Amino acid sequence: MEVIWFLFFAVLLAGYFALEGFDLGVGLLLPVLGRTRANRDRMVAAMAPFVLANEVWLVAVAGTLFGVYPRLEGEVLFGLYPLVVAMLLSWILRDAGLWFRRRLDGARWRGFWDAMIAFGSLGLSFGWGMALHAAATGFTSSPVHPVGVLLGVLTTLLFAFHGWTFLAWREPGAFGGVRSGRALVVSGLVSALPVIGLLVGAMPFLLEHSAPAATLNVLSVMALPFAPIMLGAQVWVWRTFRPGKGAVPLPSFF
Amino acid sequence: MDVLELARTQFAVTGSLHFLFVVLTLGLAPIVALMHTRHVISGSALHGGMTRFWGQIYVVNYALGIVTGLVMEFQFGLSWSGLSDYAGGVFGAPLAMETLVAFFLESTFLGLWIFGWGRLPKWLHLACIWLVTLTAYASAFFIMVANSFLQNPAGSVLRDGRLELVDFGALLTNKTLVFSFPHVIGAGLLTGGLVLAGASAYQLRRRTRESVFFDRSLRMGVGVASVGAFLALGFGYAQFGGVQEGKFDGSTGAAVPLGFMIEIGQLLAFVLLFILLPLIYWLPRWRWTHVVLMLMTPVPFALAILGWMAREIGRQPWMVWQKLTVADALTPGLTSGMVTASLIGFAGVLGLLAVVDYVLIARIVRRGPRDLDLGAVPAGARPAPAMTF
Repeated sequence: MEVIWFLFFAVLLAGYFALEGFDLGVGLLLPVLGRTRANRDRMVAAMAPFVLANEVWLVAVAGTLFGVYPRLEGEVLFGLYPLVVAMLLSWILRDAGLWFRRRLDGARWRGFWDAMIAFGSLGLSFGWGMALHAAATGFTSSPVHPVGVLLGVLTTLLFAFHGWTFLAWREPGAFGGVRSGRALVVSGLVSALPVIGLLVGAMPFLLEHSAPAATLNVLSVMALPFAPIMLGAQVWVWRTFRPGKGAVPLPSFF
Repeated sequence: MDVLELARTQFAVTGSLHFLFVVLTLGLAPIVALMHTRHVISGSALHGGMTRFWGQIYVVNYALGIVTGLVMEFQFGLSWSGLSDYAGGVFGAPLAMETLVAFFLESTFLGLWIFGWGRLPKWLHLACIWLVTLTAYASAFFIMVANSFLQNPAGSVLRDGRLELVDFGALLTNKTLVFSFPHVIGAGLLTGGLVLAGASAYQLRRRTRESVFFDRSLRMGVGVASVGAFLALGFGYAQFGGVQEGKFDGSTGAAVPLGFMIEIGQLLAFVLLFILLPLIYWLPRWRWTHVVLMLMTPVPFALAILGWMAREIGRQPWMVWQKLTVADALTPGLTSGMVTASLIGFAGVLGLLAVVDYVLIARIVRRGPRDLDLGAVPAGARPAPAMTF
């Protein structure tokens, strides 16, 4: 049972990197590829239908952490206190940018929230690199350790590349590239590599700190039957918003 | 303030902000789903317009529900790791169900609903908003299961200094849950209904051109709010049977909000059920009632906060009733500096965003059902159907 829940947790966390990675990447690329308002609208519209289905993977990760690894939950989040607060604020500003940018028409209004999307995406991408390093060292090293900073740069670059691949898949040619679905899967896997590495290393430790059997049994009975529905809902999103003629209608809600 | 008070303030501020938006979500979700259903069945432009207008208010409100909820979820680990350490084996189960299953599906289906206009077959698109409603209520249920466990730690035993789950059924039939959950749902419907009625009253008072649109909305709002008031009041009294012994004795912080909530709530329910509801047919034309409805609109939000103050301050000093104090649940090593910094960050950012969000909602209400972003037809795709009501 511990192994099943470890795999569930690992899939959720790696899935978050592979999926939300391209949303953050598109956010990072907004100031680079989106020099004009029309371009930024297209970039945001391209990722918009996926964001809600992607970011929620991290909400599920945190919930699983609480349910399956209750004694690690506090240790992990408290061990990363300043980083978690900064990343949460980044996440909030990124989301607010998406929800608010098109609610008013002014150029300055939209420009401000576009900047918040880019800024929030940067904070999250960079923060993830530092968080992975801190987790790998058992929360003993300083969050601004050079290796952590380097890892932050790496995750940021990986997400940006993943975001570019996504745009080239969903809107072929619009931003200078054409990529297949297979290329998108590969860039997703590459984006998730750092966290997969960490999960493999932390596996024995996580298995040891699983919740008691009674809790895992209840969670298994209650939650696992929904796994196919959750997967089905995600697949539905990807089928509905696959590329094609008129795939990215403007105006989009975000 | 010491670190404990700061951490409590942080939870109270973010929790209150969160619920202000959640309570409206719970009320508007089924209302929008009903409007969408009537639109799909009858194909009427009126109901399509109502779905898009009230749906847009629903999703703009939803944005703040999400971002405040994120802070809530992570705060448990940041400030209250003693809770997960001591009771995580029990408390974690409903919390995991909420985030892992209910909210995961809710967010996924909401994305499909918002961006699925014109892309999904109409019946599947309709199914999305009902699934959003269902999972939103499931989310609320599991959060109430978790909260009720803190009020009355049923279904668990103490083993080696930690609480262990022995009976999940007892968590779901907790005496502090069974009447409180429908009470919360009633509060949601009351809030959603009154927002519908208050916003419609504002438009009618301004002699809107869309009078049929807002006549219907106003009547529906008063109807839903009446159902909500009835549920909230009935289950509100019923839940006193499950309140922990001595909870409100000598706790001014809990008893005063409770008293105000009951007094104001009764008055509100009286006006709704015995004055406005019988007059529902004439309400759209009687302009003096519009002022009354507009004045009533903010009241359920205040009542909801008072209700949570009574429930949560009444639990003090316990985190888990008579098992774990909030002081013992505080993360060891947490300093006032850390909490102060994060409190300023969260309260400042979320507070500002909340103000912006309410201004945006007020603007949608003022502009009425024109140029809506939700379900907008792509530029140049086809001419928008004439909206004559």
